[in-house]
Amino acid sequence: MVKKKQATSGGAVQMSSSMAANADVDTIKSKKRRSTFTWYLFLLPSFLGILLFMVYPIVESFRLSFYQSNGTVETFIGLRNFQYVLTSATFWNTVWNTFFIGIFQILITIPLGFIFASLINSVRFGQNFFKVVYFLPNVTSIVAAAMIFQFVLHPEMGVANYALDALGLPTSTWFSDPTTSKWGVILLSVWHWIGFVVIICLANLQAISPEMYEAARIDGASSIQQWLFITIPNMSGTFAFLLITGWIGSLQRFNEIYVLGGPSGSPARSIQTMGAFIYERGFTGFEFGIASAATYIMFVIILIFTFFNLKISKMKL
Amino acid sequence: MSDKTMRRTNNIVSFSALFLCGIVLMMPFIWMVSVGFDRTANITMPFPPRLIPEEVSIFNYGLVLENGRLISAYINSAIVTISSVVLQVGASLFAGYAFSKGDFKFKRLLFIVVLCTLMIPMEPRLIPLYTLFNKIGLLNTFWPLILPSVISGLLIFLSKQFFDQLPDTLREAAQIDGAGEFRIFFQVYFPLAGPIAATMVILSFIWSWNDFMWPLVVLNNQDLHTVPLYLASFSLENGTSLGGLTMALATVSVLPIVVLYLFLQRYIIQSIALSGVKGE
Repeated sequence: MVKKKQATSGGAVQMSSSMAANADVDTIKSKKRRSTFTWYLFLLPSFLGILLFMVYPIVESFRLSFYQSNGTVETFIGLRNFQYVLTSATFWNTVWNTFFIGIFQILITIPLGFIFASLINSVRFGQNFFKVVYFLPNVTSIVAAAMIFQFVLHPEMGVANYALDALGLPTSTWFSDPTTSKWGVILLSVWHWIGFVVIICLANLQAISPEMYEAARIDGASSIQQWLFITIPNMSGTFAFLLITGWIGSLQRFNEIYVLGGPSGSPARSIQTMGAFIYERGFTGFEFGIASAATYIMFVIILIFTFFNLKISKMKL
Repeated sequence: MSDKTMRRTNNIVSFSALFLCGIVLMMPFIWMVSVGFDRTANITMPFPPRLIPEEVSIFNYGLVLENGRLISAYINSAIVTISSVVLQVGASLFAGYAFSKGDFKFKRLLFIVVLCTLMIPMEPRLIPLYTLFNKIGLLNTFWPLILPSVISGLLIFLSKQFFDQLPDTLREAAQIDGAGEFRIFFQVYFPLAGPIAATMVILSFIWSWNDFMWPLVVLNNQDLHTVPLYLASFSLENGTSLGGLTMALATVSVLPIVVLYLFLQRYIIQSIALSGVKGE
């Protein structure tokens, strides 16, 4: 009796499932359409953000660069904003400052960070301790770091000049003089960025296959030779990545400049970067057209470098 | 010299070099804390610099905490950062999942659009976004800081890569059980996304907490200042006078982040490395 009941109920289940399968075939198209719609729902927040906060501002900023505007009154003036920016000595001075600081920051930090990473990778104890210590400056915000460095690099009462003097090395006037202020910013940015370089180098150093070193050792290569002929060639992709991210970051330099020298990059505009120029014209002078033209010039430069970055990092589409 | 002793001396030399350079790197922090404890540093900075102040006092730290502005800046930063992180990580997990497991028209094209956003810096967007939020009357609120953070190309990319590694068979099994796409996401894939979600939260937190230029543009009201804005305005006002007070302020503003970092260092360092290690 019980057995029979089970059998019938089993049959019913079988029948209903086969019916469901038929229904599936019938509605497979509408179901597919419905699931496509669901996928778009997943994308909705991101694409709303892209439209409102990426596409619209980029287009609007392009339009604004052909207008004279203070946010309320607008007049079309063609290419005059671009003409103004590109012939402005102040703008070219900011390009020079941005490039100068960026180039030296990168030339110092990448080799130095790579050496530190190689050393950390080779010590047998304390690896994690050094990782934590070397990355610490990067964790603090650049604004706080700039605030501290104003004192560290103070020409009379700073600890840096004291230490240099004690070691018999020449001291510097750092931020207080236009001829040396850029070097103060470079020192600050090296200090702040080096942790990032160390971490990225370490991650990629540890990804190099140990078999290569083993083979080299069997062939009698010294550790310096291994470093020169295995480590460095294997790190070329990492160096390219750091070079480009570092360069893009330095083209956008603003925060520490604002803290150290205000929007005009005091002393005497000697540390004013492109970002500071845009802020000064846009939000202290409210010359939106001129600021927009300047941002577009900067944007094109950044675009070129980011494009290379995507090529190098081989992001899968 | 035998091979073994040579390796040992190499190790000792490397260790000492790293140790010395580490001290140099930490010097600004050490000096910052020490000057903060020096009561006389507000008039003239102690020179030559000394590790232990002549007159150790918590006067500066007391003053910094008594003045409510740092505390309120902390609260503001926390509100902005937590909201931004939730919005950004949530939206990016959704989008990354759809790009990984979804089957819909224009998938490839839309993903290229996401990657293109990686090339767009903040600067060209500053003025239009400012006028946009001005028009709808949201300047001097936290909305302009929270809403635009919904989109992050890098986080979508990281989350897509992560979901790509999870097998599709999980989906198929859940589909046979009749679960809808949202249920599959929340009950099957989301619980497995812990590691990548942690990385995304860390990166998003760092970006939002340290954000400076955009908040500077939209927040004129001092009561709404975030921590970086308050520090900058204090620094611009006082320059290099009031050394003791400035350093105490810097210490108190940096300390919670440093403590958080020391607790989470393994995860934070991993996240940073992941954000910089190239996709295949």
